Amino acid sequence: MSIEPLIQVRDLKVHFPVRRGFLGRPGDPVKAVDGISFDLFAGETLAIVGESGSGKSTTGYAILGMEQPTSGTIMIAGQDRAGMNATDRRAITRRVQIVFQDPASALNPRMSIGDSITEPLQIHGIGSAKSRRDKAAELLALVGLQPNAANRLPGAFSGGQRQRVVIARALALDPDVIVCDEAVSALDVSIQSQILNLLLQLQGDLGLAYLFISHDLSVVHHIADRIAVMQAGVIVEQGTVEAIFDNPQSEYTRQLLDAVPSSPLLSPRP
Amino acid sequence: MTDAPVLEMRDVTVSINGNPVVDHLSLHVDPGETLALVGESGCGKSLTALSVLNLLPDVATRSAGAINLQGSRIDTLSQRQMDAVRGSRIGMIFQEPVASLDPLMRIGRQITEALRLSGPVSSTEAEQRAIAMLDRVGIREPALRVTQYPFELSGGMCQRVMIAIAMIRQPALLIADEPTTALDVTIQAQILELMADLRRDLGTAVLLITHDMGVVAEIADRIAVMYAGRIVETGPVNEVLGTPAHPYTALLLRTVPRIDGPRKKMLPAIEGIVPEATDWPEGCRFRDRCPLATEICAEMPLLAAKGTESHRAACWHSDRVAEVA
Repeated sequence: MSIEPLIQVRDLKVHFPVRRGFLGRPGDPVKAVDGISFDLFAGETLAIVGESGSGKSTTGYAILGMEQPTSGTIMIAGQDRAGMNATDRRAITRRVQIVFQDPASALNPRMSIGDSITEPLQIHGIGSAKSRRDKAAELLALVGLQPNAANRLPGAFSGGQRQRVVIARALALDPDVIVCDEAVSALDVSIQSQILNLLLQLQGDLGLAYLFISHDLSVVHHIADRIAVMQAGVIVEQGTVEAIFDNPQSEYTRQLLDAVPSSPLLSPRP
Repeated sequence: MTDAPVLEMRDVTVSINGNPVVDHLSLHVDPGETLALVGESGCGKSLTALSVLNLLPDVATRSAGAINLQGSRIDTLSQRQMDAVRGSRIGMIFQEPVASLDPLMRIGRQITEALRLSGPVSSTEAEQRAIAMLDRVGIREPALRVTQYPFELSGGMCQRVMIAIAMIRQPALLIADEPTTALDVTIQAQILELMADLRRDLGTAVLLITHDMGVVAEIADRIAVMYAGRIVETGPVNEVLGTPAHPYTALLLRTVPRIDGPRKKMLPAIEGIVPEATDWPEGCRFRDRCPLATEICAEMPLLAAKGTESHRAACWHSDRVAEVA
């Protein structure tokens, strides 16, 4: 028996046209994503790792419909994204949400935390004003913030607290999948571990799947089940965390692993 | 010749709006050694570095203490006198290499500009030295690169150019503020290796500002951990990382996921957030977040020797640090 993946990506290409000079002839396109395939199953964490320019964020954006694929298919819960009508797309949007890197720019500074969190519900016409307020309180509790945070503006919160708000907003529509695009990269180390703990806890409680886009191999090692290593628009290797870290097959993966600063001084004590 | 420290800061305080954000900080960097100043955002580590350079932002003022460079005071110098120190005796590199370079100036000129500041030099000689320096920092085709602009170079190459600019006058001290934070991991490894090479060849002392214990373990000789404007622990890297004597250091070390650590487990978290300078508690500033805190922590602990004379920590409960992580 095979389980249907939540997200199935086949031979996805996202190319960006380049014009040479003002009104110039089109040059060779930038092949940000150039023929990648992977599956994301319910409740698991698939990490996409790579260096800047490898196409990992573009991949996430294509899945969310924020970038148009040049070719290839993205199936979400068995439906082809390209063939969807507006109603289907809305329904799919509810199932796949995103958490960005920088919580400062991901929140409207003039919108109260409560309004930010419930805006997705409002856009999708879900619930009454009262029920949305209740939902905001519930979501805030879920991410470890006080319910009275709802009335305050993002400026009153630290970076880590704002990232909790962004996560609460991503959870508002009860998604199956959250795309985490460098979701802990901008945070201080002590805050990073708090957010990683929160992500793990939410996954356990809600059965979320994460598409975890990151350049940080230590973080990925900690949180992921499977890893796809991207370089220059293609996946050079994918497999379980154990397989990738213990027995990397691609030269590039080995280079990445070797470059991680490691010292016996930092190894966990037995 | 005596082995006077290259940099010695004594009791330096930096205030913003009357609130000390760097609070009676003392540190020293010996010839040829790398001291890592480690802490999270807002702990005052960058302001500490800027105070050495006399480049504090307008809102910040240095109100006490003394700063010595190679045995003579520099904190009393005027900005004009400091111009002769910055670049020639203290080199600087920052986190954002691309933003640190002038986008409208060719690479070669940005390097020779530094040279020309230190005295007359012919343009041919300046260019030759720029090319040689680019070659030294590992940039291929240096003769081509000097004619290019920053946008034509990658982030890693721009950081090499920054290092070339900082090192071309062979300063006694290099201040590197998060030099690899904005770089990809493979590039970070190359830059760290380059910094270690240069230090070995030229004997430059390095004050490295970072939040990354991985980087510290890789290239630092000694470490000073900052929390809320004060150094809470300092000592040789192997001692501090091996047997931390302050719970903040211990938690910082254990809270970061490790490539060889356990997976999918809750990380030992440091609860709460770094307090603002206006909300620092009396006594030990970590005590609100500290699992070991007791009544005595309401009194400020001094930076006292732990085990060896060079390994110091400001904690009443150093003997119980092994319990926290």
